[in-house]
Amino acid sequence: MFRNNYDNDSVTFSPQGRIFQVEYAQEAVKQGSVVVGIVSKTHAVLAALKRNAEELSSYQRKIIPIDTHYGIALAGLASDARVLSNFMKQQSLASRLTYGRPILLSDITSRIGDRAQTNTQHYGKRPYGVGLLIAGVDARGPHLFEFQPSGVTVECVAGGIGARSQMARTYLERNLDEFENCSREELIKHALRALKDSLSQDKELTVDNTSLGVGGMEENFKMYEGQDIAGWLETTFENKQEGGQAAEGSGEGMELDS
Amino acid sequence: MTSIGTGYDLSNSVFSPDGRNFQVEYAVKAVENGGTAIGIRCKDGVVLALEKLVTSKLLKKDANKRIATVDRNTGVVHSGLLPDGRHFISRARDEASSWRSTYKAPIPGSSLANRMGAYVQAYTLYNSVRPFGITAIIGGYDAETELSVDGAVGNGPKVGAGGKTQWVKEGGPFLYMVEPSGLYWGYYGAATGKGRQAAKAELEKLKLDPTDGECISLEEGVKEAARIIYVAHEDSKDKEFELEMTWVSAVSGPTKGKHEEVPKALREEAERLAKKALEGEDEDEEEKMEE
Amino acid sequence: MNHFPEAWGRPRDDIYGSYNASYLPQSRGGLQSHHQPTTHTQQPIVTGTSVLALKFSTGVVIAADNLASYGSLARFTDVHRLKPFNKRAVVGFGGDVSDMQYLDRLLNSLDVEENYTSPTGDAKSDDDRALVDAPLMSAKNLHTYLAKVMYKRRTDFNPLWNALLVCGLDEKDQPFLASADLLGTTFSAPSMATGFGAHLAQPLLRRVAPDEAATQELSKEKAVEAIKECMKVLFYRDARSMNEYSVAVIDQSGVELKEDEKLENQSWAFADRIKGYGTQTV
Repeated sequence: MFRNNYDNDSVTFSPQGRIFQVEYAQEAVKQGSVVVGIVSKTHAVLAALKRNAEELSSYQRKIIPIDTHYGIALAGLASDARVLSNFMKQQSLASRLTYGRPILLSDITSRIGDRAQTNTQHYGKRPYGVGLLIAGVDARGPHLFEFQPSGVTVECVAGGIGARSQMARTYLERNLDEFENCSREELIKHALRALKDSLSQDKELTVDNTSLGVGGMEENFKMYEGQDIAGWLETTFENKQEGGQAAEGSGEGMELDS
Repeated sequence: MTSIGTGYDLSNSVFSPDGRNFQVEYAVKAVENGGTAIGIRCKDGVVLALEKLVTSKLLKKDANKRIATVDRNTGVVHSGLLPDGRHFISRARDEASSWRSTYKAPIPGSSLANRMGAYVQAYTLYNSVRPFGITAIIGGYDAETELSVDGAVGNGPKVGAGGKTQWVKEGGPFLYMVEPSGLYWGYYGAATGKGRQAAKAELEKLKLDPTDGECISLEEGVKEAARIIYVAHEDSKDKEFELEMTWVSAVSGPTKGKHEEVPKALREEAERLAKKALEGEDEDEEEKMEE
Repeated sequence: MNHFPEAWGRPRDDIYGSYNASYLPQSRGGLQSHHQPTTHTQQPIVTGTSVLALKFSTGVVIAADNLASYGSLARFTDVHRLKPFNKRAVVGFGGDVSDMQYLDRLLNSLDVEENYTSPTGDAKSDDDRALVDAPLMSAKNLHTYLAKVMYKRRTDFNPLWNALLVCGLDEKDQPFLASADLLGTTFSAPSMATGFGAHLAQPLLRRVAPDEAATQELSKEKAVEAIKECMKVLFYRDARSMNEYSVAVIDQSGVELKEDEKLENQSWAFADRIKGYGTQTV
């Protein structure tokens, strides 16, 4: 009659105090393509790898600008991200309307965290199957937050989520000390290199499959795609010596136009 | 846990034949793995401290605060599932704020603990929810001075009806701990999380009874709290951690009745002493070995 | 005649017939003749008079007297109508005192919420801490918020019967001064006054600071002096004012609030020939 397992819903603890449904939801994040984010003293950058369903189809939307001062990058169920991003847009506009000020990134992050938590404590709901990186600049400077389906939110200097993102995080950890004083351009390059490290051997970053989002103290959050990022892709992967990992990808760089 | 697999542990709000609610017990397990959190109720205030394990190098240092302010004079630290902790805090804030709008005064610690205990307990009653995977420590200071009613006009009489009662002192420091079952007690020193056993052992050595003339002061409490977190961390020494500490005193004290972060200088001094105390212990042991 | 409050200001039944409630929805007692339409505040009860404020080069000065009147009765003489919100914003209240108390509680809970997040963690040093600790809510943000509250209430036909001056520093630490009133109307100027002050003090303040450029040249001392002079004129001319008042100066160094000031150097020479009031016998 009773099933001898604890993973049927998100309102059951296992004897070890774990909630398997939530842990499974975290797995959904790992199915999504990789996204990375970095902050410096002056800028916050998101970079994302987009997938396409087939040759002739369009690519996914991985970066969503929310307000003029920040945006998000997602990994996992895109439709869950849409629900969350709509909520974030509403909250951000509400802050501007009632107080005339841009919402704090810490504030909006904990609000979606609280929302996600509710889904893990009530029967009949499921945890969100998406992870987010939230990056931008507010009254307290540039910030990067990571959101997980469990409702855990953390502020990072740099972060990466999604498929094979461990490789990106390794790159980020290795170059961690540099980020704080990076210029806008250097920061973008770091983000692209970290992203590239998470690619499988036969993949390349191209103008079609890469998205960038940049926010700064003096600039609004803006998404860059297509030909707008061609320059950065070119300059980033030409001076391969700079990045620790870049040498590995040197052979692949030649096949860019295949 | 002989009843695992019999099915009585698969749903919240179900008693096993021997009268246990397993889901609550499992929730406690979630707490037992969390970083150590402690609270100390001193003569003239309360200290809350937390061992925050650094799970990744990429985390921003000294950000990611987890001890929350619930009302100006009240803080909450918790151990266990972080998002559940945020849920608890947001409810506590709602309680504090609704109390203010009803009574035009801050919520007393005992009432807040009672309401939060009731709220957490409600999450053990239904199979449509799960219990909170946290144990929360609520600490604060109920003002001893008669606070003016919010939005008061004029000064009113000094004593008597509508004024203060002379010579009668109310309020003072308070500390409560709420468990996943909804059970709560008032404490002189409270500890939860992974290192709670070691922390409790240390807390019991402190003089914390306010009727005892030697009850420790808030500043001593800050130093003891730091030391106890360091002691509790000994078992997971290989992992890096950050110490987060907040305190609250009377209106006349260092925090002016507000719950706030312990100033950086004082925290660093407390950490220095804590490290020194630990090293001292090691040396003693080494000396004994040598002998 | 019906002297109960619900009949105040209404046509008399014995002359005009009873109120025709037939248009009201059932839930509001439609067709039942004794029912009246829902009403909210029609008039203020206990009131404070003018609030004055003036920008100067680095901040703003604001003042209001300590009187709460019940009609023409000087009912309460120690009512503080300037409420500091944080280190860079002060709100001055004119109009209904109970509505002021409501707004004060609203601001109180807003302040509690604003301080949930302790920002000190970002600070690298104590100098840095002062910067990071700067309150997030600027006077401008606060004004936006209060204006929304006032507008919402008037749109509900249930106004908060106040005229507010919100002053302090904006996000860029520049002097800020703006008003919001019971209609939800907002306005901003180098000098502002509510109530009688709008007629009696505003012209005098405009002489000191005719435009924004003039406030840049205005010193704190000159501004405080001008405000104090205006408080005096208001006491001469406004019968619902008194000679004890509060004054606050907001600038980079924070809020300096004095709540028991007295008017100095009064001269009633101008009233020499005014006769026929009070205990005057000659």
